Amino acid sequence: MSARASETSPGLWTLAWRRLQQDRVGMTALIVVGCYLVVVLLALMGWVAPDWTREVGVNYAPPVFWADDQDETAQPSQAGQALSGPVPLYGLQDPLATELAAIRAQHPGAQEATEVPRRLSLPLGGDKWGHDVLTKVIKGSETSILVGLVAAILATLLGTVMGAVAGYFGRWVDDAFNWLYGVFTAIPYLLLVFAIAAVLQQKGVVTLVLILGLTGWTGVFRLVRAEYLKHKSREYVLAAGAMGASHMRRMFVHILPNTSHVILVQLSQNVVGFIKSEVILSFLGFGVPVDVVSWGSMLNEAQNELILGKWWQLAAAGVAMAILVTAFSMLTDALRDALDPKLKY
Amino acid sequence: MINHMGRFLLFLLGLWVMGAGAATPEKVLHLELSAAETGFDPVMTSDLNTASIEQQLFESLLTYDYLARPVKLIPRLAAAMPSVTDQGRTWVFTLKHGVYFSPDPIFKGQKREVTAQDVAYTLMRFMDPKNRSPYKFLVEGKIIGLDELGEAARSSGHFDYDARIPGLEVLDRYTLKIRLKTTDYNFAHAMAQPMYGIVAREVIEGYAGDTASHPVGTGPYYLARWTRSSLMVLARNPNFRHEVWNFDPGNDPDNQRIAAQMRGKLIPQIDRVEIQVIEESQSAWLSFGKGELDMIGLAGQFAPMALRGAHLKASLAQRGIRLDRISDPSIAYYFINQQDPVLGGMSKEKIALRRAIFMAQNDEEMIRVIHKGQAVRNAYPIPAGVAGADPSYRSLLDYNPGEANLLLDRMGYARAADGYRRQPDGSPLAVRYTSSLSSQDRELDEMMKKALDRLSIRFESEKLKFPEILKAERQCRVQIRLSAWIADYPDGDNFMQLWYGPHTHENNGSCYQDPVWDRLYEKTLTMPDSPERDAIYHQLARMLELNGVTKVSTTHIRNVLSHPWVIGFKAHPILPSVWSLLDIDVSRVPQP
Repeated sequence: MSARASETSPGLWTLAWRRLQQDRVGMTALIVVGCYLVVVLLALMGWVAPDWTREVGVNYAPPVFWADDQDETAQPSQAGQALSGPVPLYGLQDPLATELAAIRAQHPGAQEATEVPRRLSLPLGGDKWGHDVLTKVIKGSETSILVGLVAAILATLLGTVMGAVAGYFGRWVDDAFNWLYGVFTAIPYLLLVFAIAAVLQQKGVVTLVLILGLTGWTGVFRLVRAEYLKHKSREYVLAAGAMGASHMRRMFVHILPNTSHVILVQLSQNVVGFIKSEVILSFLGFGVPVDVVSWGSMLNEAQNELILGKWWQLAAAGVAMAILVTAFSMLTDALRDALDPKLKY
Repeated sequence: MINHMGRFLLFLLGLWVMGAGAATPEKVLHLELSAAETGFDPVMTSDLNTASIEQQLFESLLTYDYLARPVKLIPRLAAAMPSVTDQGRTWVFTLKHGVYFSPDPIFKGQKREVTAQDVAYTLMRFMDPKNRSPYKFLVEGKIIGLDELGEAARSSGHFDYDARIPGLEVLDRYTLKIRLKTTDYNFAHAMAQPMYGIVAREVIEGYAGDTASHPVGTGPYYLARWTRSSLMVLARNPNFRHEVWNFDPGNDPDNQRIAAQMRGKLIPQIDRVEIQVIEESQSAWLSFGKGELDMIGLAGQFAPMALRGAHLKASLAQRGIRLDRISDPSIAYYFINQQDPVLGGMSKEKIALRRAIFMAQNDEEMIRVIHKGQAVRNAYPIPAGVAGADPSYRSLLDYNPGEANLLLDRMGYARAADGYRRQPDGSPLAVRYTSSLSSQDRELDEMMKKALDRLSIRFESEKLKFPEILKAERQCRVQIRLSAWIADYPDGDNFMQLWYGPHTHENNGSCYQDPVWDRLYEKTLTMPDSPERDAIYHQLARMLELNGVTKVSTTHIRNVLSHPWVIGFKAHPILPSVWSLLDIDVSRVPQP
């Protein structure tokens, strides 16, 4: 009586996770990216940086560690300017005279100025309005990372589906998708993005996601198509076909898991690329609207501040972005190594 | 022997020519425009940037003395100041002889002299309905018979330029008699505007439909190269007459210094003017610092870099850079489109909403944070330095968000669950602010967003290029905007006309049409600068506030920086450009 094997061999994902755990750089990068994502989640729920528009400091409040270098123009904003005495109407009738008289009778202090206390320095400094730069960096990370993630998912989804269809069916279907790919890649990427942004004329996070997602699928398409061309004639796919599996099943149940390492690495690379693209678009004025803060819009504001010697907003947004992009790039490298099926051990 | 001698003389002549060429290098003035030009047909122009170029391409009958302050009218194309009779209703202009248009293929190689008929034709163009001229207000309702021609064209679809009208009588080749319906104290100023630069009929008809691309005038320069919204190169007009720099400096030491440098020189001294469109003030500032631009209008945000108080910083002064600083005869003013379905209308609720929006604007903060102190609060539609100004005028719409909110509460603009106010009927309320794509306008967007946040009103942004903003404004499509107006001539009428009903689709961006206001304004047209006219102007200004049409915010301080090799510059409050009156000391221009 033969004994049944009590242990099953570890799957692709278990092996990949084990390999990633042994990669110290990869794990450090994962922790850093994880921290950023936690901050984004907390900001989304309103637990941190709930009100970045509040003016808490004087104009261009310096960082606390730089507070000696106070600027001569840094003064508290005035919250109101009281009128003194009645303003002559030159014989005219005020259409709102009754309403204003009633308001002034009920609220005699409505016209008086109220001074809001402002801080002379802030942890990472303040911008020209006295917004806290630290709060802006946190809120800005929410926009930049969300745009990067969602646009990358959209681009990867598009690239994967089109690459799978083109690679699997081949012939005229492949030709059609390759023509589309050729059109998109023939135009320099940033120029294409700017052209679409200029045409849309609508600012906003959704617009940014659409612009980046609809233009960034080409890299994924090229690699996935190549994988499908390779896999479609392999024995396991032919066997699935012989067993009556439909085309859709063969494409997305049998072949897709075997190309997942390529797709995941591309997704990770796209996240990094799109975070940078958001920053560039916002820096050039095509990005988020004025009521949304992102790292790119902070860098846009900082371009004029830097020339006035107010470096802290640029430094804060730049460092935050540099750390995330570096960590994400390292994580991508580690993922590529961990997911490569040829590196089984 | 003779052959050898001849060759030797030719050789010497060649050397002399080359030497002479090397001794007189081309003088080029490098400048920038902060917003794109809109095209070079003067009749269609309304913006300062385009007018500054047209000032060099075209010539009006009169102009302003370069050095005299307060400003003084002098002849330009006219041989002398006009003779004015019949209590200011009959004006006779006599043209200079031998003034030619710049060469153009339309003239088939012939030199084309300016005649009185050209002046009559130029004036007629302003009333041609198809031109929709923003500056027709300077002649509309004034010249006998001209309005009727415009009316006839409106119904027939064709303007009869050959018609003879009593208001425009060509007495001879060089003399034009203009008859006005009533006394007009500003008519001479009208004839000094760059938009009233004289054009030739055959040029306008030859380039029909594309006149903005073919500017042919009698000015000191012609348009040698034009890359739209990017680069304009003006070259010396070979047909320009012999004219000598000879302005009276008076007792002003600065004027005397300029006169000592420039007197007796032929106009123009500079061979070429290259103008780049640089919308980002940071790029312009850096280009000036590197010497790529010879002069720059200092944007407020860079004032802390260049100025200490009202003076140039020592680091720049040591480089020989000069500062010319004047308070512009200009206003920056918010206006709200009175025909807008959300904000327009004369019901109490709408008036209250508009006034609340104006009362939420913090002008002092704008001066301090955005203009870096290079503007002053001015609540009156007529700025200092212009006839009719009142620096002591007090606004009803000063910053007061507390009262603005109470007013909105009282008029039924309740806050919904999302924190934003709804209209009294419960429908959503959002205010769309129009501005350009520049970084400075992004700062103004933030100002407006802050103001609307104070009132819990939702903010929307509309970003357009500057020429598109002007177009939208004329079509009454802008909802609210911070606009600016600089004096074309130093009289309050030039500012008050901005709200005159019939100027809707021209300069009246607020599309305000109030018969009471219009009647009062029309009364001022026949009045000289006087306390009686000022009293009406005060009523007009107050009505604009009471009805929530406009809020005048600031007056800009102009700081022009020039490198030491630019000679003869003095900022002029009215003339949009003075490039032909300058010189360049090529020995001081840094070589690349």
